[in-house]
Amino acid sequence: MLMLSTLFAREATLPAELSAWKSLSYVNAAKNADELNDAVLILNHASLVGLSNTPKVKYPLRPANEGGTVSYGGIFQITIKESGIYRIALANASWVDMVKEGKAAVSIAHSGGPENSGIRKMLDYTLEAGIYTLQLSAGADSTSAVLITKVK
Amino acid sequence: MSRIQQAIRMSFAIFLCTTQLYAQNDQIMRDLGRRLFYDADLSINGTMSCATCHEQRRAFTDGNRMHPGALGDPGKRNIPGLANVRAFKNLTWANNHLSGLAEQSLMPIRGTDPIEMGMNGYEDEIAKRLSKNECYQKLFSLAFPNQHGAITLENVTQALERFEKTLISDNSLYDQMAKAHKPLPLKEAREGEKLFFGAAKCNSCHSAPLFSDDDFHHVQPQNRQTDNPTTDYGLSDVTGNPKDKNFFRTPSLRNAAMTSPYWHDGSADTLRDAIRKHNLKINQTLSERDIDTIIAFIDTLSDSSFITNPKFSKPNPECPY
Repeated sequence: MLMLSTLFAREATLPAELSAWKSLSYVNAAKNADELNDAVLILNHASLVGLSNTPKVKYPLRPANEGGTVSYGGIFQITIKESGIYRIALANASWVDMVKEGKAAVSIAHSGGPENSGIRKMLDYTLEAGIYTLQLSAGADSTSAVLITKVK
Repeated sequence: MSRIQQAIRMSFAIFLCTTQLYAQNDQIMRDLGRRLFYDADLSINGTMSCATCHEQRRAFTDGNRMHPGALGDPGKRNIPGLANVRAFKNLTWANNHLSGLAEQSLMPIRGTDPIEMGMNGYEDEIAKRLSKNECYQKLFSLAFPNQHGAITLENVTQALERFEKTLISDNSLYDQMAKAHKPLPLKEAREGEKLFFGAAKCNSCHSAPLFSDDDFHHVQPQNRQTDNPTTDYGLSDVTGNPKDKNFFRTPSLRNAAMTSPYWHDGSADTLRDAIRKHNLKINQTLSERDIDTIIAFIDTLSDSSFITNPKFSKPNPECPY
């Protein structure tokens, strides 16, 4: 399904900030904070992410929607070097929390992705510089794709 | 002590015990219902709970025009808020055939028009999932002792109903001033209140104290354009009566300032859009300033304690019993 999504994305017209969506590299999600060093996402690089069955995931911050026992989730680390507005694009409808110092950032906008892009959901956040934990929860599949990009 | 006195004392003791047991069971049912309300295992793929669409911080709406289902099916209608839902005879945007909140909860859980939580045909899966959880085993045992704690879809919906009936919103600025027999502090809101209950006749349908008459009306514009890909004729979809076509229940205006977008299809982004959208003659006489004041009045119906009340929030993971 995700492979199909990326194939569609190759044909879709994407805005400049989402152009990285077309090429994916694989990152396995961490199941807890101790594993975060091995689950690093890079700004402007799209990743095909492997997620774990929800009961196996220990989120640093309890998600508002942590998903049922049959859902999937995982956590990642990403460094934001400068403050600004950032967009998180996802291939599925997982619940998203951008966490820093124990607090989740509040999204300022949400929308669907461009037609035929394979992007199901996009969220914008105003973020300060720092190291963030991206929590994906309540996902329907064991894989997804994610891209974090600076909008402004 | 006479036999009569003994009988009276005995009856009183039984009454007290029964009352206490009922209160205890009621609290357990509420706690169970609250836990279920926030549990995504009620959806086919574990991605959606009731709270996914009914977020407390948004007065139990979700801020979207419509919400896709767990399997990605498009939503049919805008998510209605749940404030004071226990007081409504008619539930959802357009249905006068539901016996109560328990039956209503089956619509998102296993309904197919639209598919929301996607459990149609998989109802037994809910019991299987919940039965694996020790806390649910305990809560169902306490809540349904006469059924030996049976974890069934019917009992799930009964508990959900009990929790939803606790969602009372009656502490807005409007309520506070009304209780104190004082006028609203803002001049603009007072002007809006006068219009709302007077010349603009908003209260004809949005009648206090619910700010809904719990009835169905046809107020949408003719030949409207809509983004909604599904066909929605409102009440007539349920009754089959052509006279009910495009009739929808009056939404409550309590917390309306916190529950955008508006209209049954979410097609009004702002309160101003929603007011203008009413296809009523009176609308043509309202100035922009009039509408500003009505919006200022509607703002006073926002109840911040409703969206922060910990009794309505996601329960702690630890079992309460």
